[in-house]
Amino acid sequence: MTTFAIAFDIGTSGIRAQVIEQQSQEIIATVITARHPIPGANVIDHLHFALEMGINSTQRILVQCINQIIKSFPIDHKQIMRMSVCGNPIQLSLFQGIEIRDLAFAGKQKQQALGISTVNREALITNAGQIKYLNLSDQCEVIIPPAVQHEIGADALAMIIQSNMLESKETTLITDYGTNAEMALLHNGCIYSGSTAAGPALEGQQINSGMLAAPGAITDILEEPPYYRLRVLDAEMNTVNGPLIEFNTNTVIDPHSEYPIRGITGTGTIAAIFQAMSKGLIHKAQINTPDNKLHLGSNITFNNHDFHEAGKAIGAIRAGHISLCNAAGISLSDISVAYMSGASGTYMDAHKAQQLGLIPTQIKKVYQIGNTSLAMAKDLLTDSSQLQQMTELATQLQENHCMFARSDVFKKVFMLELAYWTEGMPWSLYQNFLKKYQLPAIAEELSQAEIVQTVTRDINTLGSHGLTTLTNIGQKLDAHMNGCLACQSCTVECPEQAIKLSNTNGVATITLDQSLCNGIACKRCEQICSDQYFKLSQFFK
Amino acid sequence: MEKNHKNTSIFTRFDLTTEEEEQGARKVSSDPLLQKVGSCVIEGDDDQIEQAVTEALQNKSPLVVTNEGLIAGMTEVSRLWAEGSYFLPQVILSSDAMVVGIKLCEQKLGHPMDKKAKVITHTAEGDIHDIGQVIVNALLSANGFEVINLGFDVPVDQVVSACITHQPIMLTGTALMTTTMSAFPRIAEKLIQENIHIPFVCGGGAVTEEYVTSFDLGIWGKEASQAPGMAEDVLKGLSWLELRQKWNG
Amino acid sequence: MKLIDSMAYSSPEEMMFGFAKKPVTTKSGLVIGGGSVIPEITTHPRPGKEHDLATLSRELERANFDALQRCVSVGHPSIVIENEHVFQMTNNPEWGAEISSISCQMIADFKSKYGLNAAYRSTIADIRKPDLVNLRDSERTEKVIESFKLCAKTADIVSIESLGGKEVFDHCIIRNDITGLLFSQAVLGGRDMQWLWQQIVEIATENQCVPGGDTDCAQANTAMFMAGGFDGKDIPHTLAALTRAIGASRSLVAYECGALGPGKDCAYENPIIKAITGVPISTEGKTSACAHSDLCGNVIAAVCDLWSNEAVQYQNMFGGSSAAVFTEILGYDTAAMNSSIMLGFEKQYQACLINSDRYRDPQAFILCPDNAWSIGKAIVDNANSLYERGRAAAITCGELILADEQLMLTAIEKKSLLGYMQELNTLPDNEADFIDLCLHKYQKVKGFLPAAYGL
Repeated sequence: MTTFAIAFDIGTSGIRAQVIEQQSQEIIATVITARHPIPGANVIDHLHFALEMGINSTQRILVQCINQIIKSFPIDHKQIMRMSVCGNPIQLSLFQGIEIRDLAFAGKQKQQALGISTVNREALITNAGQIKYLNLSDQCEVIIPPAVQHEIGADALAMIIQSNMLESKETTLITDYGTNAEMALLHNGCIYSGSTAAGPALEGQQINSGMLAAPGAITDILEEPPYYRLRVLDAEMNTVNGPLIEFNTNTVIDPHSEYPIRGITGTGTIAAIFQAMSKGLIHKAQINTPDNKLHLGSNITFNNHDFHEAGKAIGAIRAGHISLCNAAGISLSDISVAYMSGASGTYMDAHKAQQLGLIPTQIKKVYQIGNTSLAMAKDLLTDSSQLQQMTELATQLQENHCMFARSDVFKKVFMLELAYWTEGMPWSLYQNFLKKYQLPAIAEELSQAEIVQTVTRDINTLGSHGLTTLTNIGQKLDAHMNGCLACQSCTVECPEQAIKLSNTNGVATITLDQSLCNGIACKRCEQICSDQYFKLSQFFK
Repeated sequence: MEKNHKNTSIFTRFDLTTEEEEQGARKVSSDPLLQKVGSCVIEGDDDQIEQAVTEALQNKSPLVVTNEGLIAGMTEVSRLWAEGSYFLPQVILSSDAMVVGIKLCEQKLGHPMDKKAKVITHTAEGDIHDIGQVIVNALLSANGFEVINLGFDVPVDQVVSACITHQPIMLTGTALMTTTMSAFPRIAEKLIQENIHIPFVCGGGAVTEEYVTSFDLGIWGKEASQAPGMAEDVLKGLSWLELRQKWNG
Repeated sequence: MKLIDSMAYSSPEEMMFGFAKKPVTTKSGLVIGGGSVIPEITTHPRPGKEHDLATLSRELERANFDALQRCVSVGHPSIVIENEHVFQMTNNPEWGAEISSISCQMIADFKSKYGLNAAYRSTIADIRKPDLVNLRDSERTEKVIESFKLCAKTADIVSIESLGGKEVFDHCIIRNDITGLLFSQAVLGGRDMQWLWQQIVEIATENQCVPGGDTDCAQANTAMFMAGGFDGKDIPHTLAALTRAIGASRSLVAYECGALGPGKDCAYENPIIKAITGVPISTEGKTSACAHSDLCGNVIAAVCDLWSNEAVQYQNMFGGSSAAVFTEILGYDTAAMNSSIMLGFEKQYQACLINSDRYRDPQAFILCPDNAWSIGKAIVDNANSLYERGRAAAITCGELILADEQLMLTAIEKKSLLGYMQELNTLPDNEADFIDLCLHKYQKVKGFLPAAYGL
């Protein structure tokens, strides 16, 4: 009988999965979700949701979505013998339904106060019967990879292993350019790792027209002298031509776009900043155009606040790089090879990234690699020795793992970055401070780096059944709020139009489309309810 | 009509634009010893400052050295920062140098110097990201406030009892994660129970104006650099509600 | 090559000084046509200073420096500096390149030291004299192209005042021959520009340099100078007006090849160009009296984006060097225009500029924004061929002049104009026939080589 194995990458913006035939090890199909099922825009939101609504309901939401994905595979789920997952510790802990409070509260005092003892996040092979709500045969094996410390997890281990960077003799850096920018430096056989809370600006959030990569998102800005060409994602997530714009003002030279523009992604933000700085439009951390905005087409603007948010993210990543170098006793210029991973890393223009300091200036070679979490999960299905390799790597990383938040070097350098990006401190002064702090100067000349794009898109091989995107994930949940006046304020206020109200026989039923809900960070529905009858927890507890 | 007649599409006042670039720090004192102390603050030189202050203390009172050397130097730093010649890292170095100098003066005096008022700062329980707090501490010290620094990952109850013990005019809280900022409303509630109605300024990465203004005492600190200004307002007699009305939306 | 068949501006009321539909940003960061008028100073060496590169470059370096320093002295925020190549600068391409490089470095220094926004325009000399060489195939042609290649490396903008058709024009202007003028400007000039400008645009684009524009100076300005003032009797002002209108159909070719503006300062036809293309333009009027006289000193500023002095020889005046003095004057001119924009009085200010010269002379009359727009419309509505559109421009121009009773003409002027109109109306309708007619008629004009125009 043909048997199958399934691999899952539980990421920030959604779940990606593949099913392979065990005998041939061939990929049969790839399924991704358009969104993450848990309400919230990023992984900290998901964590917060779990804290407030309970681990149980959160696990249920996540696993039910996984079940939905399994159902969509073009195979009989009874033939699935093995499953693997990969992702950051928060997502994996939610999947397992285990303790997450140590992830929410990094401080040891609080952990002790809550009575949280050390949580076991070692590698685990269990069976589907042990994962609540999971709709697979009890005998199906479930492989869960290990985490390092609370902030670096299986996804970071996957990034390091899948890049093959450990085989290199050269000093190598790998970075995931996302909200929690995980990074690792290999030098003389030692690995130094860390993760900086860069913020979601590089994933399109906290930018006024920012969005995650989706159709309609501006992902790059190219020069067509003397104007600029916007590049935008179309319905198939290919990059196509957008309007030809002037940039300093809202003059649009050629409004024709191959796909309508809806917003800008993190990589688009990088391009905007790069082009603005190249054109001399940034002066003392302010955009120097007639209205202090950059114009991307007729209705998308990029203002000073956006520049500062993106700058802080870029600065955090560079500060992280410098901190890792400091731990290894080297300078940024000693790094020969850099890997860019994560969706942002795959689609970012490496030249622009180098100019802005997201990659060391003197780098010789840059590899842009695709989704490593899913690839790792898939490898775990076919080669169980990989689990041991991950565990060994996790142990190795613990030796030299840097907690940037507690690192003096990181804090000092990040303060310089803050001054550079938000106050307009001159670069010369930045370099003076590095000297004062006895840190190596940053080489100003840019090397002609060799850029290698190992994949053309995030997930390279889709399998014979190709890619399916599930948009209708998550459930519609009903609730009755005591005292509800059916005034509809909540339905109007919700920025994602996730709430509907129906009135049957004088009883108001509120329906929440949980996959659209922005979760704890939003809660505008609760705030707008005049007498605070609306409680989000009513849907989940 | 444009208010800034320095640099417009009509004319550019090149005299003014070049003035700010050419001007470095101004002298803070005509007395060479005090000028040296002031310079050490301006340059953020915490190595030299000990020697400079010690020398000055040999024939000047600690009060004079503090006011006409250290504080005068810090005032000049603030001026340079406000006009865009100085940047945050320099301000912090200067503040650190000044604090070293003040400690020496207090030693000579035999007791702590009078400060403007007490402010308690902390980073929320469960949170270890304290860069915002570091900036707030430095700026408040630089502006003559006594900073009681509770550190990071501070339990709610510890914050509250510190407020009871020290009776500060203001409390600040820093949090990077949305999960940890939930400590703030709990602190506010307990303070109110203890009949303490001081302004509680909250800031940091994920902290939003909406969240902080949803509980009494809460004032959103958009930027760490606002802390001294807010503290001065409290000294002037503004209540937490008035502070919120002034500084928040 | 496809000729433009639509207007960038849908009505003349939309047109205003300081604003272009397609603003241009130079590599030095200067925005032209983006909301304010910027002065353009053209400095020129004294006779005798062109003998060797060291002397010439020192001369222009001093002149250009004086211009930049005067901006700092009186507070002019932005400036474009232009050098029109003297013969030696193009004939020795490395000379023009060196001067461009020095000037651009000075601009960068002033930017870094004072924050002064400036750009440099290098205008290559068209040393291909048609009566001496084959325009398309000669050593001089190669030098012109080489000059563009070298200057574009550093200059922000490159331009040229091309000479195609001049040999026939000079022959016909003194003979009052409107047919020949139409042939020389619209057909010959247009064809030469098509050949030349595609190359210029390619070179400029490769170097992030802006391909600015051209001018019908060689023809229409010659007519304007010969027409002179009210005391001039050489050629009628109405003929000069017609050549101006035809000149627009010629200058337009540069933009059809990809030029982006700003158009050359001495292209008085630029208001027509702007109405059609939306590119920013440079114009000169009262403040170019140092170079020549004209009868449209104020109206020509009505829709300008750069305001120029044409050229001034580097010499000392009471108030400083001529470069400094004219920089100051131009800058105050633009400050007044920009103030009107800031205060919301630009329409009224524009109306004053127009009113000053509208009925002063037919040449000024047809360059008022409304008339310029109408001539532009006639050009784009007859986009079948260079000839047809040039002819339509001339006829529309004549009709506009005759239709407005407030524009008074002497008897001779009126009679001449009617004669030109009659001649224009009897010409063939299509270009092929017209070219046949002209090739036959002008085959003996000295220096005219049809093959040099691809005929």
